[in-house]
Amino acid sequence: MSDPIDIVSELKNKFPDAILMLQPTKDEFPTIWVAAENILKVLVFLKNEVANPYKMLYDLTAIDEQARNHREGQPESRFTVVYQLLSFTRNDYIRVKVPLTSAQPSLTTITKIWPSANWYEREAYDMFGINFEGHPHLTRILMPGTWKGHPLQKCHPARATEMGPFQLPEDKQEEEQNMLKFKPEEWGLDQATGDEEFMFLNLGPQHPGTHGILRLVLQLDGESIVNVVPDIGFHHRGAEKMGERQSWHTYIPYTDRVEYLGGVMNNFPYVMGVEKLAGIPIPDRAKVIRIMLSELFRISSHLVWYGTFAQDLGMMTPVFLTFYDREKLFDIVQAITGDRMHPNWFRIGGVAQDLPIGWEKLVQDFINYFPKRLREYDKMVMKNSIFKARTVGIGVYTTEEAIEWGVTGPGLRATGFEWDFRKKQPYSGYEQFEFDIPTAQNGDCYDRTKVRVEEMRQSIRIIEQCLHNMPEGPYKSDHPATTPPIKKYTLRDIETLINHFLNVTWGPVIPPGEAFCGVEATKGHNGYYLVSDGSTNSYRTRIRTPSFPHMQFVPLISKGYTIADLMSILGSVDYVLSDVDR
Amino acid sequence: MKWWTTKANDPTTVVNGNSSFEETVQQSVVLTRMDDLIAWGRQNSIWPFNFGLSCCYVEMATSITSKYDIARFGAEVIRGTPREADMMVVAGTVFIKMAPVIKRLYEQMMAPRWVVAMGACASSGGMYDIYSVVQGVDKFMPVDVYVPGCPPRPDAFLEGIILLRDQVGKEKRPLNWVIGPQGIVKPQMPSQRDLKHDERMRMTEIRPPDTV
Repeated sequence: MSDPIDIVSELKNKFPDAILMLQPTKDEFPTIWVAAENILKVLVFLKNEVANPYKMLYDLTAIDEQARNHREGQPESRFTVVYQLLSFTRNDYIRVKVPLTSAQPSLTTITKIWPSANWYEREAYDMFGINFEGHPHLTRILMPGTWKGHPLQKCHPARATEMGPFQLPEDKQEEEQNMLKFKPEEWGLDQATGDEEFMFLNLGPQHPGTHGILRLVLQLDGESIVNVVPDIGFHHRGAEKMGERQSWHTYIPYTDRVEYLGGVMNNFPYVMGVEKLAGIPIPDRAKVIRIMLSELFRISSHLVWYGTFAQDLGMMTPVFLTFYDREKLFDIVQAITGDRMHPNWFRIGGVAQDLPIGWEKLVQDFINYFPKRLREYDKMVMKNSIFKARTVGIGVYTTEEAIEWGVTGPGLRATGFEWDFRKKQPYSGYEQFEFDIPTAQNGDCYDRTKVRVEEMRQSIRIIEQCLHNMPEGPYKSDHPATTPPIKKYTLRDIETLINHFLNVTWGPVIPPGEAFCGVEATKGHNGYYLVSDGSTNSYRTRIRTPSFPHMQFVPLISKGYTIADLMSILGSVDYVLSDVDR
Repeated sequence: MKWWTTKANDPTTVVNGNSSFEETVQQSVVLTRMDDLIAWGRQNSIWPFNFGLSCCYVEMATSITSKYDIARFGAEVIRGTPREADMMVVAGTVFIKMAPVIKRLYEQMMAPRWVVAMGACASSGGMYDIYSVVQGVDKFMPVDVYVPGCPPRPDAFLEGIILLRDQVGKEKRPLNWVIGPQGIVKPQMPSQRDLKHDERMRMTEIRPPDTV
C-alpha cells in the first residue's frame, strides 16, 4: 500500500481548513475528519481530481457516539458518518469521517457523486435516523415501514424480549400487508407511456427464483423489463447490533451466519480485525489452517451456487451432483470442525482446535476426486447450448460500471479486471501461495459463471499447497487476550486465578481503537470495521458485505431484458439474502 | 394384508410363501376403514411448500438431494404455491418484516395443512434475541413439529418429517362436512426428550475430537 502521508498532505494543500483531524487507527490507511460543509468538495476531489483517484465508494455508514468514552482528540460528534473509499490504482483505502452534533442529524447526500451511495444512505437513515438532504428517495430500507425508532442508535433496545411479546392480530396483519403495497408514483415510475400501460409485477418475497426472501417489483412493458425496484430487509437479523451486545469471542458464531454459505470464511475478517485491534500475532499453522478451511468453504459455496443457478435455468441434474460433492466437502469440514454449515471454528488468535489425526487423507482424497467432477460439469453446464443461450450476452456491464457501483469479487473479475484481494492485499499469508486470478472479458452472466468455475480449480490448488506445506507448531496464539493461563497454575496464585476467571467469563478486553479488515470472500469483498471502546464487547461493528452493493446494481443490468433473463441475472450475481440484509 | 420383500442378492426363484388359497386372498384383499385409508394416503404423500427463510433452507434443500433423499418418505413433491402444498417448513429465522407474509402464505394453504418449525430460530428465536426477529413462529401460527439445530442436519430434518408422518397417520379428521363427527382430533405426541432420555444417559463415551 502507498504511503498514507501522500494523500493527506495533498488534501491539506488543496483544502487547508477542511481537515479537522487525522485520526490514528490500527489500519494501514488514513482516517481523516472533515467538517460537514466541506464533505462534498473533498469527496469530489478524491474521486475525480486527485491523481490515482479513489473510484469506489467502498462503504458508507455511521457511528452513534453518545455512549463512547474513548474519543481522544476527535472532534465533538453525536453521530459520525463514515465514508470508506477504495482506490484501485493506489491499492489503498481512505476513511473520511464527518461529525454531526445535532440530535436530529442531517447531512447533504453524495448520491450525485456516487449513485451507489443511494442504498447506503437509506441504510444510515433507517438505522441511525440521519437525514441526507437531497437524497432521491430517503425511506427505510431494512426495517418495515411501520417501525418506530432507529435500531442502531444506542437508546434503541437490542433484544426482542425487551420490546414486549410479538403479536400479529388481524388489523396489524392488514396494516403490514397494506404497507407492502407497491405504489409506483412513490418511486417516480410512470404507470403508462403514451397509450401503453405498464404492468407492475411483484416477484417475491416468496419466489423460488429469488434464492431467499427478496422482493423485486418489476415494471414491465409486455415481457421486457423497464425497471426493477428491489425491496430488501426481509432478512435483517440485526447482526451489527448483535456485535455491540456479545463479547468479542461470543460474536464469532454470529459472523458464520452473515453469509451462510461461506461458513468459516465469515469468521476470517472479524477475527483478523480483532487481532489487529489488540496486536495479537498469529502462529503460521493457524494461518494456513484458516486458509485451507476458507478455500474449502469457497468451493462449497460455489457448488451451491453452481447447482442452483443451473436449476434456475431449467437443468434438473447438476444440482443433485453439486450437492453430492458438497456433502463430500462437508465430510472433511465435519471431521475437522465438528459441524457442517456454521462451524464457528476460528478464534481470536488462531483456530478452535488442531487438525485431527488423519485429516491429510480426507483432503487428499477430495483433491484427487474433485477436478474430474469439474470437467464433468463443464460438459454438462458450461458447454450446454441452452445454458449458453440463456447466459451469453445477458446482464452485461463494464469494469467502470462495476467500480462505480461497488461491485467486487467474481462479478468484477468477469469484466476483465484482474483484482483479487488475496493477491493485491494479501492477508494471513496468501502471498506465499501460487494461484491465478481467473478473469473473463465480457461481463455477462456466462462469464461470471466461467470465473467462479475456474476459481474452484484455483481453490483446489491452494488447498493442495496447504496440504503439502502445513507448518508445525501451535494452532493458537498464547497472547493473554486469547488464551487463559494454564489451569493448574490458577490453583497456586490469586493473580493467575483472577486472570483465568476473567478471561473465561467476561472474555478479553480489547484496547480502544478502530480497525478494518477485509477478505476476498465467496461473493466479493467482505469487510469488518470494528470500533472498540476498551471493553469486553465491541462499540460498533460494521459489516460491509459484497451482496448489498451487488443487489443495488441488479436493476441497472436488468433493464431491457425479459423476466426469464432476470432469473439468469439474479443467479449469476450470486448473492445470499443474509449477506444483503445482515 | 401379508407381503414380503426379497433381498438384493437373492436368486429370483426365492419366494417366501406357500401359494396357498389363504395366502393369495391375503395378498389381494385389503380390509380397512375409510378414514384409516385416507390417513395412510396423507401420511405417505405430504407435499411440502417450496418456502425458505434463511440458512436452514439450504439444509432442507440438501435433504431433497441424493445423499438424504426425502423421496424415501414420500415428501419430494415440492410445490411452488401454498395452495397446492400440505406442509409448510418454516426453515429459518422469522423476521418481523416477514411475519405478515408468512402468515399470509400459511392462510393460503388449504386444510389439511401442517407446519414444521425447522431450526432454533423458527422454534424459539434461537440465538437471535434481537429487535428484528420474532421469538419463534408459534407466536402467530400453530406448529406441529419442532426440529432443533442451528441449522439442523438434513438427517434431523428427516426425523422431523417421520414424526410428522406418524402424527398425520393418527390424526382424526372428518371424512366429509356432513358425515361423521366434525373437528380435528390431533394425537398426543410424546416428548422426544423423554423418549430418548434413557438411551442418551447410557452414552458415556464421546468420540474424541482429535481423530477424524
